[in-house]
Amino acid sequence: MFTPEEVERYARHIVLRDVGGPGQQKLKAARVLVVGAGGLGSPILQYLAAAGIGTLGIVDDDAVSLSNLQRQVIHATADVGRPKVDSAAEAIARLNPTVTVERHSLRLAPDNAAGLVAAYDVVVDGVDNYPTRFLLADTCERLAKPLVTAGVQEFYGWLTVLKPWEIGPDRLRNPGLRSLMNEPAEGRMRTCAQVGILGVVPGVLGTLAAAEVLKLVIGIGEPLVRRMLTVDLLDMSFDLVDTEADPAAGATP
Amino acid sequence: MLITIKLFASFRDGRFKVATREVADGATVADVLRSLEIDEPEVGMMFVRARHVDVDRVLAAGETLSVFPLVGGG
Repeated sequence: MFTPEEVERYARHIVLRDVGGPGQQKLKAARVLVVGAGGLGSPILQYLAAAGIGTLGIVDDDAVSLSNLQRQVIHATADVGRPKVDSAAEAIARLNPTVTVERHSLRLAPDNAAGLVAAYDVVVDGVDNYPTRFLLADTCERLAKPLVTAGVQEFYGWLTVLKPWEIGPDRLRNPGLRSLMNEPAEGRMRTCAQVGILGVVPGVLGTLAAAEVLKLVIGIGEPLVRRMLTVDLLDMSFDLVDTEADPAAGATP
Repeated sequence: MLITIKLFASFRDGRFKVATREVADGATVADVLRSLEIDEPEVGMMFVRARHVDVDRVLAAGETLSVFPLVGGG
């Protein structure tokens, strides 16, 4: 049940077709893990908290730096030097104190990934490197947890939803991250620190990622399963690319 | 034979978004990348017929190759 304050807070969801009271109850009951409280993680956490996700787990081992603030909008100038999980948790408490925040001030690693992921219903990837992104995707695949995953750099981004344990009506398995790309060799990717990023790019992709989480939790619409959205803010083009798993390819290690 | 090439993000700089190109029969993805002066290590994802392909994939007439740079920040 909702308190009178919650009914007022979520009034625009409760009157919204396909969400309503039952949808809002699903949001309240949901446990969502956000890995990375940086550029993508900021709007993801803000919108999921505002929407009334009951429990938000945040994984990040980094501290806020001044050069983060051009795009990592959940943190403020006074937070520079503080752990990102603390800064983000306090911002969420200011925005929506009904949300329970679980702080995981650590780096996702092979010895902790399964324990973290297992405790949540939906996982969101806001990480800034491919080794961690592949570890997260492999873990979610093994534990059958939906993963909303995105990448951003310069003026560009991509977003998709991975549920590779599910078989589609064509009897093909949905693609996982390893169906979309080879794991890049360590150090191959140029980082945002090297090539830069327009501050709003993770805002756009992170907000879209949050929309996918809300759809998955409520069970509405068509999430980006078997589709990848690519965004180019220079020419303001949004392209959808169909993706399939290769049945001949091996399973996730 | 004719194939279609779709480029994304920074690969469009000084090139194109979509183009139809004549390539030799038996041409591979690597041949196309070379003709476009795209270095393989810069490539993140490549798809033909919705499926991920490697550089040694032989292309067939009429196929569309989509090429994305490595974009992985967060």
